[in-house]
Parts: sequence; C-alpha cells; structure tokens
Amino acid sequence: MTEFYGLPNTGEFWHWTNALHFVLVGLAGGMAFLAAILTLRQHPERKRYWWLAGILIALDLFVLWAESPARWRFSHIWLFFSFEPGAPIWWGAWGLSAAMAAVALLLLKQWVRLLERIPEGVLGVVMLLGSLVVLAYPGFALAVNTTRPLWNSMMLAIFPITALLMVLAIAILLGSTWAKRWEVWAAALSLGLLLAYPFTLQEAAREHLFREGLVGYALAGLLIAVAALLFRNPRWAAALGLAGAVGLRWLLVMVGQFQSPGL
Amino acid sequence: MARLGMLIDLSACVGCAACAVACKMENQVPAGANRLWIREREVGVFPDLTVEFRPEQCNHCENPPCVPVCPTGASYQTQDGLVQVDYNKCIACGACIAACPYDARYIDKKGGYADKCTFCSHRVAKGQQPACVETCPTYARIFGDLDDPNSEISKTLEAAGRQDVLRPDMGTRPKVIYLNAPSKKGLTQEVMES
Repeated sequence: MTEFYGLPNTGEFWHWTNALHFVLVGLAGGMAFLAAILTLRQHPERKRYWWLAGILIALDLFVLWAESPARWRFSHIWLFFSFEPGAPIWWGAWGLSAAMAAVALLLLKQWVRLLERIPEGVLGVVMLLGSLVVLAYPGFALAVNTTRPLWNSMMLAIFPITALLMVLAIAILLGSTWAKRWEVWAAALSLGLLLAYPFTLQEAAREHLFREGLVGYALAGLLIAVAALLFRNPRWAAALGLAGAVGLRWLLVMVGQFQSPGL
Repeated sequence: MARLGMLIDLSACVGCAACAVACKMENQVPAGANRLWIREREVGVFPDLTVEFRPEQCNHCENPPCVPVCPTGASYQTQDGLVQVDYNKCIACGACIAACPYDARYIDKKGGYADKCTFCSHRVAKGQQPACVETCPTYARIFGDLDDPNSEISKTLEAAGRQDVLRPDMGTRPKVIYLNAPSKKGLTQEVMES
C-alpha cells in the first residue's frame, strides 16, 4: 500500500480547454493546408479557404492565449524571442504565425495596392510550409513525452491524418466536391491507425486507455469506420468522420495524461 | 562550476515530512501543489517487513526532459546544474509538466507559471542550506557539490552502500540520490505493490 504526506503533482495538467485547442489547431493547420494547395493550384474556391484558414488560426491562437494562466502576463511574446527547436510548441507558434501571415497577405493583397506585387504562389508556399508544421506539431508535442506511454510515436501519424479528416469533412459540408475522394482516404487511414494504436501500447498503457476511455475510443472508431464506408453519401460521411476525429483527438489528449508506472 | 545535488538516506528518513512542511513555508507553495512530498510504502512480508519512507521532489536531472520541450526557454539549466524556471518567460503551457517523469512540476495558478523545487537557490546563493536539509531532524539529507571531492556529499556518496535514483530507465540522470533503500531490490515501484 502506498501512502503520502503531501502529494505528487499527478493531476490533470491539460484540461478540456487544451483538448479544445488540440481540435482547433488540427482544423487551423488542416484548413491552411487545403488553402495552400488550392492557392498553388489556382483553384477558384481558394479565397473562401483563405478566410476559413484565417478565422480558424485566429480562433485557435485566441483560445491558446485565453486558456493560458499566463495570459495577463503577456509572456507569450517570448515564443518569438527564443530559439527552441527541441520544443514542438515553439514550432507550432512559428508555423501558425507563418500560415497566418500568408493568409493575411493573400487577403490584403486584394485591397492594398502595395501588396499586389507579392506573388500568390510565394504566399501559397509559405502557407503550405506553415500548415505542414502546424499539422505535425501537436503529435510531436505529445510523443516527445517519453514518460507518457499512451502518447507514443503513433501520435505523429494520428494527429495530422485526423486533422485532414476534419477539414476535408468541413470542405464536403461546404459543398467542395473535390474533397470527397480525399475524405474517404483520410477516414480509412484514420480508422487503420485507430485500430492499430492499442497494439502499439505497453500493457499498462493499454489497460489505462481501455479503463478510462474505452467507450469514447470505441465510439470514435465506429464513427470513423462508418464515415469510411459511406462514400456514396459524402455529407453523412463528412459529419460522422468529423465527429469521430474530434472525439479521438480529444480523448487522446485527456486520457494520455498518464504517467508510466515506475515510481 | 559546481554540480549541485542531494543525498537522501532512506535508512535515516522516518517520513516525518518536516522537509515537506519546511518547503511549503519557505517557498510559500500554494495549496494543492507540492514541491516536496513523502511516499510511504510497506516492503516485504511479516516478519521480514519494513517501510520505505521516500521524500520526492525535482531531481534537478543532468539530462532534464522538461528543459528542451519548453517553447520559450523559461525552463533552463544553470551552470551549477540546477533546473529552474524563469517565471517572466513562462507561458504556463504545461509542456514541462508533461515531460517530467517525476510529477515534480505544477502550475502556480495565481502567478500563472510552472513551478517546482528550486533546491532553495535563493538560500544557497546566500551560503545557506536548502530549507528541507536544514530542518531534517534525522540528518537524512545532504546537499552540496557532487564535483567537489572534499564536499560532504561526495565523501558520503563515496562511502555509501546502496545508491539509487528514481526511474533510471528514463535516462534523466537525477541528482537526488537515495542511499540505503530498505528493500534489497532497491527503491520500491508501483508494480511491486501487489
């Protein structure tokens, strides 16, 4: 039996607000990725996606600041006066900023004559690079913590793929027909990762996942599975896939705050 | 440069928590958070029974996983090997908490930053001992420079029998070193409980 005087700081350190951010940053990065691809392909729908990407990035940045206990100390400025390449969150700050800057310039270019000369393709490339960083960094922010066995290297795949699943679902719901084919692929890949993930875990971690999140995990899996099968009804597939991806990301952040046994 | 560390002799520790209380008082640690706590476990079966009283805190690791994940450089290592937090730079993102294998860190909600044991660097700078060391009634704790062969900590370490650190498998190289663990197997682990 273990008893304590005082307690180790084992409580939840990332709360529902952080889980919300992990969903929003997927939407922000994924939407910036779609916007960048559409920009580089000179697709007629691209302007709508600039707006969507801009709004989602701004919303995510706002949530990040608003939920931070340091918000009124304005210490976030140090994210941009430091060089911390070992920190996924530092990469995320710069990735989101780069994508946001590209989006802002693309939108402003329409009205500000001074900006007209900046080639759209250059901004598209900047947005693409920024969005790739944003798609990647949440998975790294989890997987880098080797002491948290649920956040293993599968996070590096699950978070980018589910981000794409979410934004492609939104694109379908907004009537973009090009998204349908890719949505099925994203759902199938997400489902494959979701099925494989428990087999990649240490025994204690797998037990913890099933003890704390079995219902949520099964439900997310079911939604994504149905989404992958519903390619003849893309709107339903999109809605279910979106819900499943949101649930999976949320659950992994919350349930994964589990210290490996050994103390 | 010094390499500051701490020895905790578990054969002397009685788990009275004077160190934990002294830490709370000295550092005004907020309610609900702890820089130092005592883990108490029974070891063995009667009549071969003992109890491990194990104070735990930040290990000021030589290879601290909490430092590289900090996106602002607020978590850093001093030249004396202490792992500290620059409160002005901290954005309370919790990345360091996620990375720490020892549950040593917490968010000071009032201050809005991550915090933990500092080895009482404010006292050490004045030539004093950390509050937990000074208050320990059984002299179970020794603080000092592990690189100085003439320091008390180095001499004690050299003469000591069993030495252990928490979670050596994590590769963090802790500088809080436990001496004379009561179990022949070393420090107790959660999995040993059943």
